[in-house]
Amino acid sequence: MESFFSRHRNLIVLLAALLAQIIGLAVQVRRPSRSSTATAQQRATEMAPRDRGGVMLLRLWAADLVTPPERLFHAVNQGAFGLWSGYLDLVHLHEQNAQMQQTIDRLRLEQAMMQEDLRQAVRLQALLHFQQSYPQKTVAAQVIGTSGNLQSHLLFLDKGSADGLRTDMAVITADGIVGKVRDVFPHTAQVLMINDVTSGAGVVLEKTRIRGILRGSADGQTEVVGVLADSRIQPGEKVLTAGGDQIFPRGLPVGTVERVVRDPDRSAFIDIILKPAADLDRLDEVLVLTDLQSELSPAIESDLKQSEAEQGQAAAAELAREQARRKAAEEMAERLPGLSGPAAGAVAGVAATGAATSTTTGAANGSPAATAPPAPKPIPTLHPDRFSPGHDAGSGAASPVPDNGSAPANAPAQKPQNRRLP
Amino acid sequence: MTGLSTDLRREMEIRRYPLAVYVLVPLASLVLQAWLPRVLGRFAYFDLPLLVVLYFSLVRRHPIHGTLLGAALGIFQDALTQGVIGIHGIANTVCGFLAASIGIRFVVENVLLRVILNFLFTLLAGLLVVFVSSALLGLQMHWSALTQVLVAAGNALIGLVLFPLLDRLQVKD
Repeated sequence: MESFFSRHRNLIVLLAALLAQIIGLAVQVRRPSRSSTATAQQRATEMAPRDRGGVMLLRLWAADLVTPPERLFHAVNQGAFGLWSGYLDLVHLHEQNAQMQQTIDRLRLEQAMMQEDLRQAVRLQALLHFQQSYPQKTVAAQVIGTSGNLQSHLLFLDKGSADGLRTDMAVITADGIVGKVRDVFPHTAQVLMINDVTSGAGVVLEKTRIRGILRGSADGQTEVVGVLADSRIQPGEKVLTAGGDQIFPRGLPVGTVERVVRDPDRSAFIDIILKPAADLDRLDEVLVLTDLQSELSPAIESDLKQSEAEQGQAAAAELAREQARRKAAEEMAERLPGLSGPAAGAVAGVAATGAATSTTTGAANGSPAATAPPAPKPIPTLHPDRFSPGHDAGSGAASPVPDNGSAPANAPAQKPQNRRLP
Repeated sequence: MTGLSTDLRREMEIRRYPLAVYVLVPLASLVLQAWLPRVLGRFAYFDLPLLVVLYFSLVRRHPIHGTLLGAALGIFQDALTQGVIGIHGIANTVCGFLAASIGIRFVVENVLLRVILNFLFTLLAGLLVVFVSSALLGLQMHWSALTQVLVAAGNALIGLVLFPLLDRLQVKD
């Protein structure tokens, strides 16, 4: 027996290592359900299943092992760039040029550096401005690494649970959404980007209001799936977050429609290929939404209050104008009774007569004139028959002009009866 | 008799390295694999941890070492992704074992042979990842043959530079 183990120890170790890993895989894998009634949020949750404790521990170890050197590399890279552009390149220039040329070149170099600093300052200022004006609470973080796998679009941030980050928090830039926090460690966090195949978010097209599920494709593109073919979807249309997934707030920019392709699996559906609003390949600083509850800044709150006050003043002014118009109309009706007399109906046109009649009868009944609807009055016929308005079917007598004084303001006789037969 | 001769051969030709090399080189491969895509963008066609597994397996000529190193680095590679842990572990385990087995039987000092081995083992690792993901686990796997070939070519080229550098770190008797 001993000789068997010693002779085949290599194979035994190989099989043991493979078996242990296969068992580990079997414990971790959970098949997502294919139910068509599952919501976008459920599908997104199924595509990115949660880890068990042991797996989480392994990820923590890996992150703890890799992120400190990554942080160091990041700092060294920036320092080396500064060293090269600030010193070594100047020495090179000194060897090649005369004193004046060297001065000019150094100034140019400094100008370029300042422009780079300026660009960075503008970028950071824009991010800060966006952070201050954005109603939700955010935490700014720096991207320090990736997963190192072409099929896994993950980022590592330099902030973690110690900075208030939690799983499933949205990660955005001023341009658009980036992804969501997948795993959080004490001082680092893992972000699942929107162009990963396992990501998922509810989105809506801005103009057509068509909803779909945002996910990544195998080649790292961002696409909207689960959309029925619709000719209204055109390239260039903006895509926003729908807000139903409890991760991304509603209305954040996702990207623009680049092209529409047919879904290879379902002929009735299309896939919308997007150009992400945020530059996912060149991310340096991001914001993590730590609280979905809107918290307006004092400046925005004062703006809102001022806007509401202005709207209230405008409404009050409009109400005052309306009351003044009504009062003037009532005074006009009192001072000029001839315009509303019974005889005026026969002289004036149909509309004017109707209006005067309703005003008179309304005043007679004690109701406000403004509330009485105008009573349409038919044109008197020269040769009345049984179809003429006011014709009494029982007696056979035709009355071309009905008695205005006896008719109520909103009597059924005021219905249009001047239908003419063809 | 064959086993004895291979063991003897392995003992005679085995290379030894300082302990720091065994720790720092795999760690550096993991860190660079995670950091370089930030610099190179989507052109990061290489798999440095696999390359390190192949190197140590070929020169150490010990299948158990190759197996365990492959498993450890593969598991750490998986732990840095959002996927299940063990897919790259299995692929690197098999590659480490096979590379060490080849190292026992053949002389792998030739540069061209190393390039070919790196290329083929990287392709094999890619195929194993696809097999484990799709066939074994039933996961939806998006696989690009062109990408795998590019990664294999990248590994072969990097191995041309990396292997001679690592050769210099061995302990001389």
